[in-house]
Amino acid sequence: MKIVVLVKQVPDSGAERSLRADDNTVDRATANNVINEMDEYAIEEALRLKEAHGGEVVILTMGPDKATDSIRKALSMGPDAAVHVVDDALHGSCAIATSKVLAAALAQQNADLIIAGAESTDGRVQVLPHMLAERLGIAALTGARKLTVDGSTLTVERQTDEGYEVVTASTPAVVSVWDTINDPRYPSFKGIMAAKKKPVQTLSLADLGVAASEVGLDGATSAVLEHGKRPPRTGGNTVEDSGDGGVKLVEFLATEKFV
Amino acid sequence: MDFDLTPEQALLRDSVAALGKRYGHRYYVEQAKAGKNTDELWREAGDLGYLGVNLPVEYGGGGGGITELAIVCEELAAAGCALLLLVVSPAIAGTIIAKHGTADQRAQYLPGLADGSRRICFAITEPDAGSNFHKLSTVARQDEATGDYLITGRKVYISGVDACDDVLLVARVSKGDRLEPALFVLPTDTPGFSYRPIEMEILSPERQFELVLDDVRVPASALVGGSTEAGLPALFAGLNPERITVAAMASGTGRYALGKASAYTAQRTVWGRPIGAHQGVAHQLAHAHIQVELARLAVSKAASLYDSGRDLEAGVAANTAKYAAAEASALAVDTAIQVHGGNGMTTEYGVATLLGGSRAARIAPVSREMILNYVSQHVLRQPKSY
Ligand SMILES: Cc1cc2nc3c(=O)[nH]c(=O)nc-3n(C[C@H](O)[C@H](O)[C@H](O)COP(=O)(O)OP(=O)(O)OC[C@H]3O[C@@H](n4cnc5c(N)ncnc54)[C@H](O)[C@@H]3O)c2cc1C
Repeated sequence: MKIVVLVKQVPDSGAERSLRADDNTVDRATANNVINEMDEYAIEEALRLKEAHGGEVVILTMGPDKATDSIRKALSMGPDAAVHVVDDALHGSCAIATSKVLAAALAQQNADLIIAGAESTDGRVQVLPHMLAERLGIAALTGARKLTVDGSTLTVERQTDEGYEVVTASTPAVVSVWDTINDPRYPSFKGIMAAKKKPVQTLSLADLGVAASEVGLDGATSAVLEHGKRPPRTGGNTVEDSGDGGVKLVEFLATEKFV
Repeated sequence: MDFDLTPEQALLRDSVAALGKRYGHRYYVEQAKAGKNTDELWREAGDLGYLGVNLPVEYGGGGGGITELAIVCEELAAAGCALLLLVVSPAIAGTIIAKHGTADQRAQYLPGLADGSRRICFAITEPDAGSNFHKLSTVARQDEATGDYLITGRKVYISGVDACDDVLLVARVSKGDRLEPALFVLPTDTPGFSYRPIEMEILSPERQFELVLDDVRVPASALVGGSTEAGLPALFAGLNPERITVAAMASGTGRYALGKASAYTAQRTVWGRPIGAHQGVAHQLAHAHIQVELARLAVSKAASLYDSGRDLEAGVAANTAKYAAAEASALAVDTAIQVHGGNGMTTEYGVATLLGGSRAARIAPVSREMILNYVSQHVLRQPKSY
């Protein structure tokens, strides 16, 4: 089985993050850039499937030169190879354009299974797995908390607010996973040393036959017009109890829709 | 001059830090208070190859250097999990056996040291010899008939004996009318070998022991390097790795303490604004931070010299790093406690818990006075004082 895992480099969600003043895109220059947290679960799931069923795991990243660090880290966990789509024209691409580029790269891979994190911590729109499935004409099994593979049948437990749904599809398909699905491994020292010898193919837009005008800030179908800092937290309400404290508390909870 | 870690070293650092963070200082303290060890952490780090980063690839090690092992030591300590056995088992015993062991000894011990499944403690200190190993009274005499050695003596403050499979023991063997130091490696359950814990005022899951050897019989194959001549060079081979890794660990402890302290002072408010806004508080932290950073530089330099085979320069650098890091770590812990006020002395805030351990780094494995002696004599060319 050939599995492609989508890995995105994002600013560390545990640290201060911001948008750029000039074009309202994510500020990557000053951030500590890391693998999107959810993608580590996708990598882990792919590695477990490979360990159980054999095959090959390939990382696919679209991102600037600096994303090499994240690719290297991803490879140190155990995947066999990586594809890095890097092109200056990609800066500021919207989700639709990103899905076009990734779909073009995936078309070259003939993967049985594509695994992605359910969302990225910078964009948080959760649309990419669906868009890719649509573009590739294959099934999308999204938001998985469990994935099993039996021959060409994929079964996932799809996490929902109420519980979970059992959804099946046959390969090839796109599966997106939540952080409830497994515990990602740490890179072993041997894995770290082996990663630098693993093949990383770099592809430009021209290699993928995608025109520069279709991507980037100019080709974007959506744009961030302005941004500002989150207002500081306010003091909150103090409920004075003059015999009716309980009632006031319930009123507050009701207006905030907690009860 | 390159101050950057290689991408592999940076990844190792981040990976070890992530593992350490999952366990954390609370785990370390709980295990220590319950009289338990840190086997889960040790095993996991071993399976990931972190414990054997410095050992040869052909024996299952990572093929890295002391730079890599120092990274492992520092990052675990920076997560509040300083593991003394890293200094003893892979740094001292691993280096000595890899460099001076016989082929059989390398094959027998290194694979286990590399994946952490075997641990070897190191015993040199004696009640009446202290820092002077020419006065060691643990003696091995050869049984002419069998070639075996019979070892008798006493050792104190030996770390982690209960957790170790074997002990690397420094004894003296009679050579004509003289006694020459020699190293033996023997299982901790060899008949005649006994140990009991020494009550220490250090909160650590790794404990210190007194060893008693009463005519302990070991085969000649237990002699490291296969001859008594191998003893002294083998012993010296362990010193730099020991000092560098201990210094890395102390630096990590300093980072941990200052991390706790600065997080606390940035939010603790008593006079209407965070206490970190007072220079009297902030400058203490900044000063300690600079001392820790200087120590880390000294560790990097020593490790780099050692890994590039410049042993003589590495000796001075390793002692310098050990001295600087122990002082910086003790200062950082003391400062962290001070800025925490009363909270600083609680178990919950996890800084006073480091007091004993950080203080001990100024004494062991080599005291600050012996380092000052070394620098006075070998760098500043002063007459030998003792
Ligand atoms: C937590 C801990 C773990 C340890 N683990 C191990 C271990 O695993 N294996 C092991 O073999 N040992 C271990 N030790 C022992 C440690 O290495 C010794 O305690 C240390 O080397 C000092 O030796 P000593 O205690 O005999 O002190 P002494 O040599 O008696 O020294 C006492 C004091 O006098 C000073 N002094 C001594 N000689 C001189 C001199 N010539 N000039 C100036 N000052 C001098 C010393 O610096 C020190 O301050 C450990 C100790 C501790 C505290």
